[in-house]
Amino acid sequence: MAIPKVLRGPEKLEVSGPKVIKTFHLFGMKINFTETVILEWIVMAVILLTAFLLTRNLKVRGTSKRQAIAEMAVEAITGLVRDTMGRRWLWFTPYIATVFCFSIFGSLISLFGVRSVTSDFSVLLTWAAITFVLITATKIRCGGVKGYLKGFGDPIPVMLPINVLSEISTPTAMALRHFGNIAGGSIIMGLIYYGLANLSHMIRLQVPLLTVGIPAALSLYFDLFSDFMQAFIFIMLTMVFISNAGPSEDAA
Amino acid sequence: MKLGFLSIDPGTILFTLANTLILFLGLRHFLFKPVNQILEKRQTAVDQALKDAEDARSRAETAEAEYREKLDRAKEESAEMMRDASRKAQKRSDEIIEKARAEAAGIMQQNAEELEREKRRAEHELRGEVSGLAVLVAEKVVGREINPADHARLIDEFIDSVGDAE
Repeated sequence: MAIPKVLRGPEKLEVSGPKVIKTFHLFGMKINFTETVILEWIVMAVILLTAFLLTRNLKVRGTSKRQAIAEMAVEAITGLVRDTMGRRWLWFTPYIATVFCFSIFGSLISLFGVRSVTSDFSVLLTWAAITFVLITATKIRCGGVKGYLKGFGDPIPVMLPINVLSEISTPTAMALRHFGNIAGGSIIMGLIYYGLANLSHMIRLQVPLLTVGIPAALSLYFDLFSDFMQAFIFIMLTMVFISNAGPSEDAA
Repeated sequence: MKLGFLSIDPGTILFTLANTLILFLGLRHFLFKPVNQILEKRQTAVDQALKDAEDARSRAETAEAEYREKLDRAKEESAEMMRDASRKAQKRSDEIIEKARAEAAGIMQQNAEELEREKRRAEHELRGEVSGLAVLVAEKVVGREINPADHARLIDEFIDSVGDAE
């Protein structure tokens, strides 16, 4: 009896970046339209639709369950920003919520058998770059351009290269940490699926039954826990680095 | 065609930047703005309710103090009335008792006088009889008539001495 191809399990293990769907040229630059972007759109649609549905006919009294969820979410993230960054950064809350939701849903989308958005290094680099820009902007706003540039020669001018390196390493490390955890997790899960499929074939199972169940337990850590942790770590670092770039709230 | 595992792709970066911005604006508009509005409204309502409750409580306290004062005054008044009434009653009863006592004393006095008068009269009568008797006894003893008028002084002395011995 011929077993359908979908039931035969992975036949080869491949570690690669996202698929390029279309490439177009703009101002002499090659712009790739990859599967990551489509997945991002799906994630965005899910998040925005959820937000839209949760905030239908809000009431001051006699709130529905949906409203309670929306309020809890908003209050939780607002409280987190207030506790970590201080009250003057409260306007920043929606961005933190954006990165958190984008990261978590972008990672969890891999549960549907597609690449996760966050296993594309370009995505994490973009977010880390935004954080970097905000850190720099805060430093310049609080100390002026001169003060910002002077900061690189602190405490002695010889430290200049080290200071530049530390400035750049902040976003790089953030991006690499998040990327490494999610991409690494998906590689490990891929290896486990591949290995269990091969093991099933070795014990003469035509359908790789060993891949049923066993990976789920590991997936709890490598997908659910890790995805949540990385999203949380990323927003925490973003908040801490940005608020530390300015003077503390007491001084301000 | 697939990109490298650790590739940095400008196209993806541009798209991600735009997408992040869109999601930021979308979340701010669809989630944070309405929810924060409702939270603010609720906060205002709660503040208002607390203020109203505070007002109501202070009003109630004022009213209570007022009532308490009124009650105290009423109690005092009634106590005063009671005291007044009991004082009057006491006075009245004292008067009645006094009157009764006076009447009783008057009656006693009258009785005593009557008694005294009776006693005197009896004494007087007795004295007459005794003197008659004494004369009779003396006549028998002496064997002749004794003129009571001659011995009146003697008889009287005798009766007096007997009366004293009583």
